[in-house]
Amino acid sequence: MAKFLFVVPPFFGHISPTLSIGASLINRGHEVKWLGLTPLAEKHVPAGGEYILPETELEEYQDEIALILKRQDDGPTCSGPEVMKLALEETYVPFARIMMPGLSNFVDTWKPDVIINDCITFAGALCAHIKGIPCVTTTPVPPDVLGDTANSAPKIFEWQQNLIKNLQQEFGVYGDEILIHSHKLNMIFTSQAFAGFNEVPQHMKFVGPVKGRPNNASFDWERLSKTTTPRVFVSLGTLLVDIRKEFFQKLITAFANQPVTIIAATNPDIFEEWPENFIVNGFVPQTELMPYMDAVICHGGFNTVNDTFTNGLPMLITPIAYDHFHTAKLIENSGAGISIRYKRLRISDLQNTVFELLQNPQYRNAAMKIKETFIAAGGNDKAVQLLEDFAEAEKILEPLN
Amino acid sequence: MDTIVSTTKMNSDEIFDLMKQFITEVIGEEFVEEMDITPESSFTKDLEMDSIEIVSFSEKIKAHFGNEIDFTGWLSSMDLDQLINLNLGMIINYIHECQ
Repeated sequence: MAKFLFVVPPFFGHISPTLSIGASLINRGHEVKWLGLTPLAEKHVPAGGEYILPETELEEYQDEIALILKRQDDGPTCSGPEVMKLALEETYVPFARIMMPGLSNFVDTWKPDVIINDCITFAGALCAHIKGIPCVTTTPVPPDVLGDTANSAPKIFEWQQNLIKNLQQEFGVYGDEILIHSHKLNMIFTSQAFAGFNEVPQHMKFVGPVKGRPNNASFDWERLSKTTTPRVFVSLGTLLVDIRKEFFQKLITAFANQPVTIIAATNPDIFEEWPENFIVNGFVPQTELMPYMDAVICHGGFNTVNDTFTNGLPMLITPIAYDHFHTAKLIENSGAGISIRYKRLRISDLQNTVFELLQNPQYRNAAMKIKETFIAAGGNDKAVQLLEDFAEAEKILEPLN
Repeated sequence: MDTIVSTTKMNSDEIFDLMKQFITEVIGEEFVEEMDITPESSFTKDLEMDSIEIVSFSEKIKAHFGNEIDFTGWLSSMDLDQLINLNLGMIINYIHECQ
């Protein structure tokens, strides 16, 4: 049995798959903890696991953390290059710096056998390198979202490399090697076919979507069972607070009293009244709901994308910022959906696209093909097997390191 | 008229009008109507072009001017701040000089 420590950012979309794998590891008898920068509600943590918030070490950074989190709301109004700066320079690198002291102290106390860092939570891999602890990385989105910058945009590549090397140097790690991700095992929660890779380095493992995290959100199943029109699930994820109202206003304009049922995951308080064919809940048991849906509209948050294609459903993706555009391109390439950029979203297109997705079987057929690749990727079982084999192999190698 | 017409050099005003035409074709007339496109319009911020739109805009430039203008090569030589600050006037100047 081994001790696994997940190091996670304060973004639920990134935490979510680690909670699912963590639950599976606990069921297999391993010890699992998570460490993050902001509180995580108890209900999300799998039974037997523990979420660590190093409050003492984080105390002096509270204002900075709040500022960085607030800054994420600017994402949707930023241009592509600005988002790159916002993400790497203003979010990931400072988060790593802020996280390091508390993480380092906790690792010294708990002595995990394996550190598993989320791909944007650089402190995990860096700390593991410094302390000589085996490290695995988890990547919830299809990788290579920035493309081959080394060749296509050499100055941008250099900027990325320098930011990371400077961060590493701050913690006494010199040299040109980039150590913010594991070089031995990087688990990606999609399929290789969907991510559009022909060949991948040996350490990159596409395990497909994972599931099983605790989610006790209630839902009016009876109301859903009485609906007679096609059901369209709509999610805007957990971020993007500022544009929520505008996004759902467009949906209301497009679909109020149309022959569809809209099931929306958002706080109902943003409007006093919703049309009768809208079922709106702040939190929904998304994974349980999805098998009863006929199509999905989302901005490209990756957990919703995974839930959609796990059920072979067609999708209208309305990319807003960040990696959404890359995901949208993959969905269009697969034929399982249609992408309309949020900023160019007309009401008539919204209506026409949703009815096209519901009526033309080609999209659903393509979505079923993605579903097959997801199932073949192995999911939780594959992820657990990879982690157990990795922990075992590292234990054997330990005396040699 | 996506044909190569390089016999006569275009002046800045003509290039500006052509760029406006390309932008309209790429992002759609009704979105352009809401914008006041000037040479000071920044490419990514004011015109809000995403990477897919920038690619199709580049293709239009290539189709029109042919190989004498390496627009994508020029873009890829930029650093992040240059890309953020890139405006239509700079593109017009670049095309003007390359002709």
